[in-house]
Amino acid sequence: MSDKGDIRELLRRYRHGERPALNRLVSFVSRGDGIDLIRDELQDGSHESPLIAITGNSGVGKSTLLGRLIEHVRSLDETIAILACDPESALTGGALLGDRVRMSSHAGDEGVWIRSLASASGQQAVVDHLDLIAQLLTQFGFDHVILETVGAGQGDVAVESIADLVVLLIQPEIGDELQWEKAGVLEVADVVVVHKGDLPGAERTEAQARDLLNLPGCEQTPVVRVSSKTGEGIAELWSLLVNRPQRDLTTGRNTRRLLRLVQQRIATWFAFHPDEVESIVQGCSSSGMTNEQTITRILSHLTNDHS
Amino acid sequence: MTQQRRAPRIVLAKVGLDGHDRGVKVVARGLRDAGCHVIYAGLWQQPEAVVQTVGDEDADWLGISILSGAHMTLLPRIMDLLKRAGLDHVRVLVGGIIPDEDIPKLEVLGVARVFGPGTSIPEIAEFVGATGDATDE
Repeated sequence: MSDKGDIRELLRRYRHGERPALNRLVSFVSRGDGIDLIRDELQDGSHESPLIAITGNSGVGKSTLLGRLIEHVRSLDETIAILACDPESALTGGALLGDRVRMSSHAGDEGVWIRSLASASGQQAVVDHLDLIAQLLTQFGFDHVILETVGAGQGDVAVESIADLVVLLIQPEIGDELQWEKAGVLEVADVVVVHKGDLPGAERTEAQARDLLNLPGCEQTPVVRVSSKTGEGIAELWSLLVNRPQRDLTTGRNTRRLLRLVQQRIATWFAFHPDEVESIVQGCSSSGMTNEQTITRILSHLTNDHS
Repeated sequence: MTQQRRAPRIVLAKVGLDGHDRGVKVVARGLRDAGCHVIYAGLWQQPEAVVQTVGDEDADWLGISILSGAHMTLLPRIMDLLKRAGLDHVRVLVGGIIPDEDIPKLEVLGVARVFGPGTSIPEIAEFVGATGDATDE
């Protein structure tokens, strides 16, 4: 149980730039605690810098690339916060969060903030309320906020509703062109990075990506070849990211984003009230209700009591 | 307002020049399977970096693995930095090769527990309050 007084006190200390208060607030939000209070507090009009998401299959080098981007951003004397998501075991609820290891060259530098987040299984590759966490970070003063998703790959499109800019990492030799067509994430990528650009085949993969993404009449998606090993393309990628126009959140995409947020709120409520849900289900099943009726009962329970 | 099912968050790190990381990796995996959120910070960390990690990750526990014999140099520094960062609430575990006569000295510094060779994973899991089923690997 969280105490509203505690959160108010934390918010006060956060406003004074106290990093431990920021750290604790992020924990509250990532557990789905005190959300309304914190959301209200942050609403008074401060700026929001774009949330950049990095996504791609596991092993494609998301953390390694981020390590390089951190170096680059620090060399420009700007600050950066990273939210690194890793999957949580569906069986034990445990998680091994190891992304920091590949970003550790700046350990101990106050201009870099890294939080490892376990994303509950069954949710897509992102953690609930990430938008609020990102807002906490930008209003604290971090110049850039980057989200690293779990290496999920195909069809993982949830990032789109949360991030302002989606960067998809692919690597040489990822399969034939049919594989590309299948990958749902290609559709939501704002920038495509051919990572491990020093490997053989990288140029061909880059050419294929360009062919596929930049069909006549489509919105042009930039493709950049980057090697974290040699550093080639890092500066180019970064300038592309910071200068790229953000998604227009006032158009149709905003509806999808809002729907996704509604979905998230419902999922969070379920996750934190297992007993309540269980008792409804028990009740329905003992009175012989069908699945459809049970679902309706649960939904009406949600909308009656909770926002 | 909400009920929490909260997994213990534990940062595991190796400090100094000690490169023996088999033990800490086994513990990392064991605690994950026991339901902890384990943040593995890796080898060759400086005390300052470890303490910042513990803060930014808002960890409940810090596990330091030392097999180099440098524990009486590095741990006083870590404990002091934790205090200065306002992280007194973080409980510290030490694993590795620690001579018996040093264990009380580490406990006086505020170390919650020293786990030596032969410790089972369930023992550590129970100590950090993990609720999952720990398997001894």
